[in-house]
Amino acid sequence: MKGLTDKRVVITGGASGIGAATVERFLEEGARVAVIDSDEAGGRALRKRHPNLAGVINADVADAAAVDGAFQELDGLLGGVDVAINNAGISLWHDFMNITPAEWRKVMSVDLDGVFYVAQQSAKRMLADAGGVIINMGSTSGMNGYPRYADYNAAKAGVIELTRTMALELAPTIRVIAVCPGYVWTAMQEAEYTPEMKAAVDAKIPLGRHATPSEIAALFAFLASAEAPYITGHPVIIDGGEIAGGLASR
Amino acid sequence: MTKRSCSPGRFKIDPNFEPLRKNPSFQKLVGEGKGRRARASAARVEECKLPVSAIEIPVMKLKHRIAIITGATSGIGEASALLFAEEGAKVTVTGRDDARGRNVVAAIAAAGGTAVFVRADVRLAGDCERVVAETLRAFGGRLDILFNNAGVFHPHNAIDCTVEEWDATVDSSLKGAWLMAKYSLPTMIAQRRGVIINQASGWGIQGGDEAVAYCAAKGGLVVMTKAMAIDHGKQGIRVNCLCPGDVETPMLAGDAEARRMTYADYMKGAANRPLGRVGTPSELARAALFLASDDSSFMTGAALVVDGGGIAG
Repeated sequence: MKGLTDKRVVITGGASGIGAATVERFLEEGARVAVIDSDEAGGRALRKRHPNLAGVINADVADAAAVDGAFQELDGLLGGVDVAINNAGISLWHDFMNITPAEWRKVMSVDLDGVFYVAQQSAKRMLADAGGVIINMGSTSGMNGYPRYADYNAAKAGVIELTRTMALELAPTIRVIAVCPGYVWTAMQEAEYTPEMKAAVDAKIPLGRHATPSEIAALFAFLASAEAPYITGHPVIIDGGEIAGGLASR
Repeated sequence: MTKRSCSPGRFKIDPNFEPLRKNPSFQKLVGEGKGRRARASAARVEECKLPVSAIEIPVMKLKHRIAIITGATSGIGEASALLFAEEGAKVTVTGRDDARGRNVVAAIAAAGGTAVFVRADVRLAGDCERVVAETLRAFGGRLDILFNNAGVFHPHNAIDCTVEEWDATVDSSLKGAWLMAKYSLPTMIAQRRGVIINQASGWGIQGGDEAVAYCAAKGGLVVMTKAMAIDHGKQGIRVNCLCPGDVETPMLAGDAEARRMTYADYMKGAANRPLGRVGTPSELARAALFLASDDSSFMTGAALVVDGGGIAG
C-alpha cells in the first residue's frame, strides 16, 4: 500500500489474533508500530517475534487513566500518532436473560469505552500534528442480531455510530472508519470450536470459510494508506458475504 | 504500482525470487549471484539486520489478470483502466465512443500496458455477450475481473422523468451490470476465481434530489451485488460494489448543465461534505483496485462507500 512507510502506528490488542496479524502487516509496509495490550506475556512474545517493533505497552484500554499513561509512553516511543488501529475487544457467550451487570459492564468497558478512550487520545495528537487515520474495530455483530452476544452486539453498534460522528467532527484532518469483520479464524476460535462447529459456520458463509487474520489486516492497511484518502465515516464490511443475505439465505 | 518494503531481519529471503534479484538495492548489497553464491549473499543480508525499507520490491497487484471495464472511455472507468493496466492486468476497454476508447487503449500501450477496445452499449445483450467473447479471444480464454462501471445520469423527479430517461438510466447501470455478469460468470466459475465490481453510488444507499431513476438503479445495484455474492461465493466469485459520492468526471459537468447551474456553483455544492471536496477518478480507481486485488480476498457482498463522508451524517 502507498504511503505507510515510516508512519507512526498504534495498534491496541496487538499481541494476538487480528491485532498480531495487523502488527505484522504494518511492519511489512514499513511503518513504525507500537502496541497497547493488557496481555503482558503475549506482549513479550510479540516483542520477541518482532524485534523491530517500536514498543509494547502493557495497559488495559478499559481504564481511562491507563490509556492516558500509555499514550504518554507512546509519545516517547513514536513522538506522535499517524494511524490508530482500535482493535482490542472481548466477547462473552451468554443468554440475554443471564447477563449480569458486571458482565455487561466488562464487555462495554473494553469494546466501547476502550475504543472511545484510545480514539480521543489519538485524535488529540493527530489534530495537533499533521492529521491521521483512526480505524475502529466494528463487527457484523454491530449490524445484525446474533443470539447470546447481546452486550457485544450493542457495543459494536455503538462503535459504528461513534465512528460516523467522529468522522463528521474531525474531518477533514482525521479520517475515521470502522472495519466490520464477520467470522475470523484465530487461536481463540480454534480453542473453542469442534471441527463440526467450524464446518457448520463455514457452510453459512457464501465464501465457505472463515477469514484469516491477515485478510482483515490487509483491509486495515488499505484504509490507513494513501490509497484510500477519500474514505471516511463508514463501516466497511469484510465477512465473506455472511450478512449479505441474513438468516433466510443460510 | 506500490512498493512492498522488505525487512531482511524478519523475512526469509529467496535469492532466486526474480524481482528481488533484479532490484538495484538488493544487487548493490549482494551482487547478482545465482544459486549457491546468491544463497550465501542472502544469508549475509539476513545477518545485516538492515532497517525496514532498505529493499523495496515492486509488487504488481493484478499481474496476469484479465479485466473488462465498462464505460472505460472517460471518468472513473478510464482512470481504472489505466491503473489496472499499470498493475499488470490486460484490460478490455468498452464504451460507446470509438475515438475516446482508442485514446485510452493508446495511453495504456504508451505506458507499457496491454489493452483492447471493444465498442459496446451495455444496454444490449448482444453487445455484452460480444465483449466477453472478444476478451476471451484476445487474452487466452481467461477472465478474472469485471468492473461494471458504465452509467448515465439525468436529473429529474418522478413526474419529469421520461420513459426514455428511465430506461437509459436503469438499463445502463443495472441491466447492463446484470448482462455483463451473466456472460462473464461461466468463465469465472470454470476458473473457480473471479471478481465483479459494480459501480453503485452513495445514492444507492441514501436518496438524492432530482435523481429518481438513478437512485432506483444504484439501489438495485447494491442489493443485486449482495444477491450475486450469495449465489456465487462458493464457486470462488467475489462480488462487491463501490459507492462514490460526487467525483470530478464529465458526468458532473453534464449534470451541472442539465440543472442549469454554473460549474463553479455546482462544484461548491458537491464539495459540501466532511472532507470538503469532491473525489477524483484516481481515488475511485484505487478503491476499485483494492476490490479487484487479492488484498480484499475475504470481501464479498459489500458496499465500499468512497464519498468523503458524504452520507455519514
